[in-house]
Amino acid sequence: MSADVSDLSLVRRVQSGDKGAFDALVRKYQHKLVKLVMRYVRNPAEAEDIAQEAFIKAYRALPQFRGDSAFYTWLYRIAINTAKNAVVSRDRSPIEYNIDRSTDATEESYDMQGRMKDSETPEGLVLTDEIRSTVNAAIEALPEDLKTAIVLRELDGLSYEEIAAAMDCPVGTVRSRIFRAREAIDRRLREVFEGGLGRTEDMG
Amino acid sequence: MNEELDSQLSAMFDNELPAAECELLARRLSRDEDLKARWGRYAAIGATIRAEGGVRLNSDLAIRVNRVITAEPAVVAEPVGARPQKATTPRWWTPVGGAALAASVAAAAILFLRYEAPSPGGQVAAQAPPATASQTLVARGVDTTQAAPDSYVVPKTLPRRSIVPSTQLANYVVAHSEFSSPVNRRNLLSAFMASESGTAGAPSGSDEPTEDVSDDAKSPH
Repeated sequence: MSADVSDLSLVRRVQSGDKGAFDALVRKYQHKLVKLVMRYVRNPAEAEDIAQEAFIKAYRALPQFRGDSAFYTWLYRIAINTAKNAVVSRDRSPIEYNIDRSTDATEESYDMQGRMKDSETPEGLVLTDEIRSTVNAAIEALPEDLKTAIVLRELDGLSYEEIAAAMDCPVGTVRSRIFRAREAIDRRLREVFEGGLGRTEDMG
Repeated sequence: MNEELDSQLSAMFDNELPAAECELLARRLSRDEDLKARWGRYAAIGATIRAEGGVRLNSDLAIRVNRVITAEPAVVAEPVGARPQKATTPRWWTPVGGAALAASVAAAAILFLRYEAPSPGGQVAAQAPPATASQTLVARGVDTTQAAPDSYVVPKTLPRRSIVPSTQLANYVVAHSEFSSPVNRRNLLSAFMASESGTAGAPSGSDEPTEDVSDDAKSPH
């Protein structure tokens, strides 16, 4: 099975004019990309800005993407270049945030201030911590075979076939175990998102 | 939401779903917000397991990107079938097509040469009208640019030079026709025409514009 088959099917949809498919790609890779960019910058908010720029560059360049490499490899290169350029330009001219919103406050500068505030508010940090603790607690509560399957997949990055070999079971069983593990964690996670702190869903 | 669909979504997230199923699910995923939210939570679960330090799991990054993308025109890649393909023409057609092209060019060249060659009966008809006074002034090099309008003037098409028997020749042939044989008359006529052709391009009395004037007329003001 091709390692990039699902990404490629989403990419093809974007290339035929379906913007919703690109949203799915962003949701899938946003954490990976922010983590990648944080090798170059320390501030999470700045890393998100760079990741955002990288995603938008990727969207605009997507008509030229032929699928010769994996989508994430291509996106990775765009993000690295964007991060390097951002660091260089930041070193040349330090970022100064205009806090006077009454004068010529564009939506972009407004968003920047909003994000800076979000990342630094105790509420934002609490939500992140709550998500983390919820997921960790849900994983601890999983049966051993489900826990092993999801950890081998997400932490070690093994394919279903490799996990099947490691766990000595059919590939179909691996698929089922990983799905059931995700379902159990997601059930707990949904309660967090939908229980008052679910701002991620409301901010659109 | 049914379990089979969720199972497919989980496998697709891991790039472990067969391509045909991916196509169908990608279509649904791009439109179904609930499915997309679940897909996003799968990503958050993975990030948490990997303990990706500094990553804000409640990030609105996807929302911000989506906001920018929504304001932009949709990107559409050029379909593969739209590219020019060499293999669409059968091979046997290549030499036949080349021969047909060469034949067409040859036929066009023959037609062009026949059109350009002066026909024997058309010589009198092609005779130019007598020059007017103003044209004569131009031909003599008189400056007429002051009278010319300040606009681009399309240069006059040069009349084709033709060899036309003069009145003298015609009178001579008529006067001696009854005393000469047809062969002699034809030879005499040819000799006169040859002598007349040597003076056909003389400037005096000609209606052809001089080179200098035609150049001025071509230059836009």
